[in-house]
Amino acid sequence: MNHEQLAQRFVDQELSAEERIQFVVALGRDEALRERVLELERLMLGASRLARPSVPEGFVANVVRSSFAPGAWDDEEQVRGPAVGRSRNWVIERLWAPRALHWNLAGAAAAACLILLALSGGVAQALRWRAASTVASNEPAAPPVVLVRLVMVQPGAKVVQAAGDFNGWNPSETPLQPTADGAWTVTLPLEPGRYEYQFVIDGEQWIGDPFAAEQSDDGFGSRNAVLDVRPPAEGLL
Amino acid sequence: MTPGAGPEDASLVRASLAGDREAFAVLVSRHAQSVLSLTTRMLGTADAEDVAQETFVSAYKALSRFQFSAKFSTWLYRIAVNKCHDALRARRGGMVSLDADDGEEIAWKALEDDAPRRHLERIELSWELDKGIQALPPLYRESFVLKHVEGLGYDEMSEILGINRDTLKMRVYKARTLLCRSLAHLEGARR
Repeated sequence: MNHEQLAQRFVDQELSAEERIQFVVALGRDEALRERVLELERLMLGASRLARPSVPEGFVANVVRSSFAPGAWDDEEQVRGPAVGRSRNWVIERLWAPRALHWNLAGAAAAACLILLALSGGVAQALRWRAASTVASNEPAAPPVVLVRLVMVQPGAKVVQAAGDFNGWNPSETPLQPTADGAWTVTLPLEPGRYEYQFVIDGEQWIGDPFAAEQSDDGFGSRNAVLDVRPPAEGLL
Repeated sequence: MTPGAGPEDASLVRASLAGDREAFAVLVSRHAQSVLSLTTRMLGTADAEDVAQETFVSAYKALSRFQFSAKFSTWLYRIAVNKCHDALRARRGGMVSLDADDGEEIAWKALEDDAPRRHLERIELSWELDKGIQALPPLYRESFVLKHVEGLGYDEMSEILGINRDTLKMRVYKARTLLCRSLAHLEGARR
């Protein structure tokens, strides 16, 4: 574990006794590390001291009035589960629901180019479809799902997985499937948003995607690929 | 969200379910500041109050499905987080507003009982930190706010967000790194 990770876990008070000893020894020798810990501690203190907004006058009365208003129960609220769980359920429901798939031709053309690039390495972001629900149009607007294909060329690998914001950085949830030409692929249904990810080769080697349009420093000495999943253009619906 | 003096949250939920408006008012009053704090940090001041109100109205409508084995505050945070996600989705494509007046108000509130020079430093840090938090990607923002502004532990955060602890830690680490970078110029200017 590198010093940055130790520093982050130290300020969260999550180091074991042995790790604490190792870390304190490192602190004594490394001025930059001491500065880093001080910086993190100051940040956390500052955040804990941020002023909390005051509750506006009439806030409580308004809430109670709205909640107890006649008919308030007619529109029974569905309290969703945790945000990610809800998103997965939504995706699963939409994947099984009848729907029409419309090609995003521009995206597909771009994908073809990107897959060609993938012959010499890894690349993400490929096919984009809009899953247009056939449900009545007065249903509350739900976020669209964009199907994104991750491609990695690793002819010698036994297992290739992807880990990122889309799966809780858990590589076992997203294995890639091998193709005959040494490429590995997986297609993910993602809501529009920004996702960081890396590939994991044979369960050991974490690598970024050299062909990703954007890279991000993960703060731990390596680079995450950044996938910016955008909603499909309205004209393609 | 710390329970204040008076009946436990669970008793107030039961009374609210029986139609006791006063009991629900006490619940709202007890948790209003925490919910507002979360919505303000997540959304800025533009939508924070409306989303906080929607959170409580939704909570009331769903009260019959509240599991009494859970903490009311955790359940309420979960509703608030989902409401914030909805609001962020609705404004996707637009710019997240940064209300300078509100930043000033927050900074001035931090002035109490401090020496003049440290007052100034704290105003700057508070304003810059608020600005930095608003500029974080939403996934990192919510993790940082729940952890360090609301003071929750990773277990409770995991329950609220439905995300495993390791992912949350990674998001908090990254948020801290990004914020340290954005605050670094302030520290440099002081030297």
